[in-house]
Amino acid sequence: MDNVNALLGGFADVITPMNLLIALLGVTVGTAVGVLPGIGPAMTVALLLPITYGLPVEQSLILFGGIFYGGMYGGSTTSILLNTPGESASVVTALEGNKMAKAGRAAQALATSAIGSFVAGTIATAAIVFVMPQVVDFAVTLGPPEFLAIILVAFVGTAAILGSSRVRGFAALLVGLALGLVGTDFVTGQQRLTFGSPFLADNIDVVVVAVGIFAVGEALWVAAHLRRKAGTVIPVGRPWMSKEDWGRSWKPWLRGTALGFPFGAIPAGGAEIPTFLSYLTERKLTKHPEEFGKGAIEGVAGPEAANNASAAGTMVPLLALGLPTNATAAIIIAAFMSYGIEPGPLLLTKEPDLVWMLVASLFIGNFFLLVLNLPLAPAWAKLLRIPRPYLYAGILFFASMGAYAVNAQPFDLFLLLGLGALGFAMRRFGLPVLPLIVGAILGPLVERKARQALQLTGGDASGLVGGPVAWVCYAFIVAVLVWPLVSRLRRGRGGDDDPPAGGDGENPSPEVELARATTTEGRAS
Amino acid sequence: MTVLVGYLPNPLGEATLRAGVEEARRRSEPLLVLNMSRDDVLVDARRAGVDDLARVERDVSELGVDVEVVQVEEGSDPADVIVGEASARGASVVVIGLRHRTAVGKLIMGSVAQRILLDARCPVLAVKEEVA
Amino acid sequence: MSTEATTAPEGTTPSGAGPLGRVRDRAQLGLCAALALAGVVVVVDASRLGEVTSSNDPVGPRAMPFLVGGALVVVAVLYALDVLRGGVGEAEAGEDVELGHRADWRTVGLLGGAFALNAVLIEPLGWVISGSLLFFLSAFALGNRHHVRGLAIGIALALGTFYAFAIGLGVNLPAGILQGIL
Repeated sequence: MDNVNALLGGFADVITPMNLLIALLGVTVGTAVGVLPGIGPAMTVALLLPITYGLPVEQSLILFGGIFYGGMYGGSTTSILLNTPGESASVVTALEGNKMAKAGRAAQALATSAIGSFVAGTIATAAIVFVMPQVVDFAVTLGPPEFLAIILVAFVGTAAILGSSRVRGFAALLVGLALGLVGTDFVTGQQRLTFGSPFLADNIDVVVVAVGIFAVGEALWVAAHLRRKAGTVIPVGRPWMSKEDWGRSWKPWLRGTALGFPFGAIPAGGAEIPTFLSYLTERKLTKHPEEFGKGAIEGVAGPEAANNASAAGTMVPLLALGLPTNATAAIIIAAFMSYGIEPGPLLLTKEPDLVWMLVASLFIGNFFLLVLNLPLAPAWAKLLRIPRPYLYAGILFFASMGAYAVNAQPFDLFLLLGLGALGFAMRRFGLPVLPLIVGAILGPLVERKARQALQLTGGDASGLVGGPVAWVCYAFIVAVLVWPLVSRLRRGRGGDDDPPAGGDGENPSPEVELARATTTEGRAS
Repeated sequence: MTVLVGYLPNPLGEATLRAGVEEARRRSEPLLVLNMSRDDVLVDARRAGVDDLARVERDVSELGVDVEVVQVEEGSDPADVIVGEASARGASVVVIGLRHRTAVGKLIMGSVAQRILLDARCPVLAVKEEVA
Repeated sequence: MSTEATTAPEGTTPSGAGPLGRVRDRAQLGLCAALALAGVVVVVDASRLGEVTSSNDPVGPRAMPFLVGGALVVVAVLYALDVLRGGVGEAEAGEDVELGHRADWRTVGLLGGAFALNAVLIEPLGWVISGSLLFFLSAFALGNRHHVRGLAIGIALALGTFYAFAIGLGVNLPAGILQGIL
């Protein structure tokens, strides 16, 4: 029960007035940005990263954890009330949730999603406590070759599995890797891709990349395609549920949690697949099949729980391996690095207090969210009335403030604008954003690991493929890369619209279409 | 000549509408019901749904008043739109709802009603929230 | 869906079209070219690095850029093949995005201008002034016509962030010409 003791220690660290205040601030800001159109938790954490440099590392992590969880709650509010899911993972919630709201059951939809998120978040966070140390125990036995292989799996996973088109995912990943190359080589001190500029010699700060791609790119993209009409928001009172609603909700919550957590915990799992699977499961198991498509409460309860459990699950690879499996986790990795803490299997050994405090703060943040969201849902819905010009001008304002604050160089602002243009182009051409960020963050790490691995073997390439774990990883990568070709050959000539380097081969059934829409929309958040 | 009502989908809006109907009957003029929602926000509480507007049209017609229902979804300034529509249609009177606002609220957000009261070229009938 | 692609949504291509079917959304080829160019730049830049290897670092600084640059070129080619076969990337949707019509380049240009102006003015004039201007001009570009309100919010935000972050948390924000007044 070491873990539990360590966790209790974490609680003791969190429960100071200042830390609780910061946790409350985090979940409040997180919920707000989840509700607001055009801003996701990843963008918010990226925007806040530079201005939290003044805070101690513990407090900024509590803040980010709160934003991460809060964003999930806020996203479901908009999908239910507006049918415009802010987060990719809320797309499925909108299917039944918005129908419920239209049928006058908005209060029940919000309640089942908030309580379900709390239940799932709590169970899944508890699961972190037990799973994460196991993963760490395993991970510390891995040498550089195995670790390299695991990072490569994360690369291939984010590039090839999460998006709808492999070739576009890999293009984004490689651009991110190239951005990660810019600067001074850490071994030889030579300048790579700096073009003689002293500003670039110090590497491009990951924060600037993240803010440029997420915030500036998104703001420019939305500005170019601004919706010019107001929608009608469905009025809600205070969320509540009847006894029957409870009876119909609790099983979907638990099933959703069971689906969500493992998907969040594996690299490249994401929240889209489990929420979708949970929806399908509930549709199959429900005693009220006639209600599905017209607002069935199970179709909100299950996916919302899956969504939150998956968010908690992403903390496992994040804390145990240093691998980000979604955009917010990627920025939190960047936050670790900006504090000089190297994320990875040694994190738990080197910084146990920090890790356990973060986990404890997730429990507390989750509780705050329930308290904050049940009574305040109508107030959150009011945020949607902020005029768009102020909202997006505000994003640009905070983006330039943050990017300038990193190094106090006006040059970074021009770099930010350039990265914003890149982010715009990626959205225009349907390139996913997550692989780029992952590439920019992990690229330098991969290079260092690879060079270390080869250093141990004196340059012999076999040093890169040592160990059974590495073999499994490479087999997985090869399978992912080769599978579409194989399935294409087997089925003969498939549809002409499929990208040659993959994509979903089969004739899209409505479900596949839905899953695809889910993944493509997932890139911003 | 016509009676213009600025309609909102809430109790105050219904009270405004009732006052507008009375006014139209008294003047024996047609009623123009205008619902304005801003185009620069994601949702606008002022926006009336299609069902709402259809119901207004049906109810007012049943009362024997000649009614036209218009929904404006462009522009970001309801006061401008209502004043502009009033002069374009040659309204004889504009009927609006008057919401209670705190001093700070007035300072920050301004008041649509106040702008209409000041800018309209015709008489303005303001229905107070307490009455609704 | 992108502007051009809206007229030809996925699935409208006749199934009889050959492998080199109709190219939809030609601008994608420009992106492929840019990717290939980026790959070439990465490789050329790496090739001018001194090949410093040692027993401590048998790989040297060139291997990674060669790999990334080369892969960029390969992916650019694969991407171009995909486009030539009629592949279209789905432009990103969002809750506040309407993809039906053309991109509004005027707004984007104005925003870029406001952004660049801030980058130029932030050091001489200070964050409070340049940030207020940035907010005001961006809101204007996005269609705000309540100028006084826009400017007031901008000034309030800039002052608030300056006091909270620069003075409160010690974040690097320049005071500029207002040094001593703030």
